Amino acid sequence: MTNPHIDNRTRLLLRLAIVWHIFLAIGLFSGIVLVWQTSSMTGWLRLLLTVIMLSGGFASVLAALFIRRHEHRGRVTSLIINYLGFLVCSLGTLHVLGVFLGIDALAETFPRGIPYLGGIFAGYLISAFGDRYENYPKRQQAFRRAGKIIMGIFGVLFLLAIRTLPGLLALIKRYDSPTPYLLTTGAILFGIMIWALWRKDSANALKANNAHEEMLNGLLFLSPNLLGFLLFFAAPLLLSFYFSFTNYDATTKVSDWVGLKNYISLLNLTIAPLSSPGQPATEVLNTKIYDELTRITLFGRGFIIGAQDKLFWTALRNTVVFCCLAVPLSVIPALLLANLLNSKLPGMKFFRAIYFLPSVAAVVGVALIWQWLYNAAVGYINYAIVSVINFVNNIFGIAIADPQIRWLSDTRTALLAVIIMSAWQWIGFNTVLFLAGMQNISKEIYEAATVDGASKWAQFTKITIPLLAPTTFFVVTTAIINALQLFEQVYVLINTEPPGGPANSTISLVLYLYVKGFQRFQQGYASAVAWVLFVVIFSVTLLQYRRQRGGTYA
Amino acid sequence: MLRKSIWTILSLLLVATLFLTACEPKEVAAPVEKPAATEAPAATEAPAPAPAEEITIRWRTRPDNQAEIDVYQKASDTIDAKLEGITLVYEPGGSESSSYQDVLKTEIAAGTAPDVFWIPGTDIADFASRGLILNLNDLAAATEGFSVDSFYPAPMAHLTHNLETGAEGANSGALWGLPRDVSTFVLYLNLDLINEAGAPDPRQLAAEGKWDWEAFKDVATKVRALGPDVYGYGANAWWGPYGVWMNAAGGGFYNADRTACGLDSEGSIAGLAFQRDLYVGDNPVAVPYGEDSEPPFMAGRVAMFQNGRWATPGIRANANFTWDAVELPKGPSGHMGNWLFWGAYVINANTQHPEEAWKLLQELTTAETQGMISELGTNIPSRVSDEAINAFLTFTPPDNNQAFINGLMDMPTAEGPLWAGSWPEFVAVMDPAIASLMTGKTTIDEFKASICAEANKAFK
Repeated sequence: MTNPHIDNRTRLLLRLAIVWHIFLAIGLFSGIVLVWQTSSMTGWLRLLLTVIMLSGGFASVLAALFIRRHEHRGRVTSLIINYLGFLVCSLGTLHVLGVFLGIDALAETFPRGIPYLGGIFAGYLISAFGDRYENYPKRQQAFRRAGKIIMGIFGVLFLLAIRTLPGLLALIKRYDSPTPYLLTTGAILFGIMIWALWRKDSANALKANNAHEEMLNGLLFLSPNLLGFLLFFAAPLLLSFYFSFTNYDATTKVSDWVGLKNYISLLNLTIAPLSSPGQPATEVLNTKIYDELTRITLFGRGFIIGAQDKLFWTALRNTVVFCCLAVPLSVIPALLLANLLNSKLPGMKFFRAIYFLPSVAAVVGVALIWQWLYNAAVGYINYAIVSVINFVNNIFGIAIADPQIRWLSDTRTALLAVIIMSAWQWIGFNTVLFLAGMQNISKEIYEAATVDGASKWAQFTKITIPLLAPTTFFVVTTAIINALQLFEQVYVLINTEPPGGPANSTISLVLYLYVKGFQRFQQGYASAVAWVLFVVIFSVTLLQYRRQRGGTYA
Repeated sequence: MLRKSIWTILSLLLVATLFLTACEPKEVAAPVEKPAATEAPAATEAPAPAPAEEITIRWRTRPDNQAEIDVYQKASDTIDAKLEGITLVYEPGGSESSSYQDVLKTEIAAGTAPDVFWIPGTDIADFASRGLILNLNDLAAATEGFSVDSFYPAPMAHLTHNLETGAEGANSGALWGLPRDVSTFVLYLNLDLINEAGAPDPRQLAAEGKWDWEAFKDVATKVRALGPDVYGYGANAWWGPYGVWMNAAGGGFYNADRTACGLDSEGSIAGLAFQRDLYVGDNPVAVPYGEDSEPPFMAGRVAMFQNGRWATPGIRANANFTWDAVELPKGPSGHMGNWLFWGAYVINANTQHPEEAWKLLQELTTAETQGMISELGTNIPSRVSDEAINAFLTFTPPDNNQAFINGLMDMPTAEGPLWAGSWPEFVAVMDPAIASLMTGKTTIDEFKASICAEANKAFK
């Protein structure tokens, strides 16, 4: 391919771009040196900035090289770097100037201008009304002019009403240190370079074709979402992975590298034989490191299992138990309920709405109501149980004792109470999903089965359940993920201090993570818990996925 | 093409105006009229210097209900009018779904916590040793007329604990805050139930010096005999209520110098054994351990409900029976074993205005401000003053407010931060172990054999 003709202006701009990228690379590499000479910076921030500046520096060098060779990837690289630089400098300027803290002022002031926006809209309508008089140009012009004047007047009034001028003056006053000037200059320079490379002539000079242009436009459209994902999801994820190898404490900002210590503390278990079932743990375990987790009997011999972090294993066990019970309790009844609601009986829409209601109610509100229901002394559930027992005793002349279930304060029933409440709340949502799945199953299949003499039960087991496989996969997978992330239900319903009572019988992994991260401020350790939880959820989901692909659900 | 450009420009203009509007300086509220000077300025006096820029101080405490929020807001407005050049912003903290301390700590980590805030006494050590709160010693030393002796000595001992030397008191070189209020436990009584059971009046027994564990158990047992859903005693499941029984038997959470676990001491075990008997003994008399005892008490099914002064407004508002309060019964040690609950106003270590924050701290703990808040009935002033106590006694019901004061006078154990270890780690071990004990999952011997091996890990 021959080089296209390049005009002098474009040639100059491309040379400028090369120089700009060389300077940018030098600046970024110098920045790395500066970062490592600044003693007050925390380790993770230093590392993060180094990675960013190193990547930016190399990308900038490559951009300069490719532009010099008139290769289009130089333009793409340069545009990406300059776009990101422009965003960083612009947002940085706004941050330094305190604009993001002015949300209250915006909320107070902006509504004053809303009526004037209505005036602008009225002007636009008047202007547009002129289009009806295409055959009368003068009248059309008059409408358009009148509309523009009205829009102009209301535009000015709008600017005055929302106090743009005082805002501008306040903004100028905030330029009282070199930082905002530097950032603004940076934003302008990056902006100029974007313009220089985006131009059609520059694109032609760098051999851009339609596919290249489409790719750049696509990236531009994708950028808000992509940057949001990287900034608010991927970056914290990676940061938490890094923190899991440190003793990070957000209040004191201490962040020393501890390697695998957090993971070892979490997972460290020991097992020791017992000479007698009642032998104290202090005699067999090194209690300076381990606490007794549980006792088991294997081949007629007693063993004691000790854990360095007993609470983590307790939380893991509770979470697994919760998942194993809450998922079937919320999925199987939902399937049956959906089957029932799928019929064309009168009032079904009403019942669909009723069953869905708990899903839209806030967990906190639901938990507070259940707290009262579960109260052992004055709660309605125990009242109902006692009433039924009294009724049965009176009818049959027997003496069944009141079980006096202490739903929330007994270690045997507290987790069960959480399971019942959660299943009750999730059933509605699962029902709607199943219902949607059932309504997608072709009615002809049921008609054919009826003609063949299949019973309703046979239709349900041989048609509905197999054809619902994709929905079932989705429902079960999301229910498992939700169950493994158990938090609010325990935090609010079992309102104990420390959380997860009684006697840690309801503490879940996420609650444990919360306690470590936000009550004790051991964010490094909490991050390790989060990653272990991630591995658990990922493994379970992967297993599900493989089973589904293997045809178990099909 | 032209229309597209116009729309682009208009859109950019609109975004720009949004930013500019956000830059508009917030209108400062009209200054509250300050009290007039006592002397009129002389006619020849030089013109007053231009007023300095108003400094905004944010402060926060934990209210239990809207009535408390209103009282604290009123106190804030009154102090705001009094302090020249300072604008106060009061932020009530905590709700059903967000723990006061969790939110506060998160804000501290993010650098957005208020200048002045309240924390419970147990948290002082953690906050001070992490450097999250200011040492106010120098500011206090430079303040004329300020004395730590104006407050109850037990909280002040902790609030003046020097992290390096371990010294306590006025000359320790440390002052971490000033106590907001103090409180003790009492037993709120349902007198209707006690009369119905034919049990003696605990107030009378206390007046006669006969109110001890035996008498307490006797009243509780008689009331419990009224029916399966009527209880003699109720308390919520946290360290306060169970600590009382240990303290009253001569034990406690820690050893004498608070450097190791004391939960397996003879006194602690005796106290826990008595308490366990109330819950899972041969004749249990208490609302099952772990159940919230407030609803059954409000429903008129509990004779003696152990709680602090903070429960008074709720009982005033909701109890539909004859009620009063009595001090805790005396245990084998000859004392009630009561706690002196307290919390303190402290200053954020990152505040930009420590001197103004210190002024606010002093104003929040004046007898006048504390009196205003005590009127609500939620707390007892933290200043040692007959005037404050006499005023407190008038805030009835309960008629027997003296029960709170008797608790204060009977050598209560101050709610104590753990300077030699981590209180959250300690309570995380202690609380589940005691829950297991009180619900009958473990025996006293099992508890005694293992508790301190685990709990001692919380010490440095």
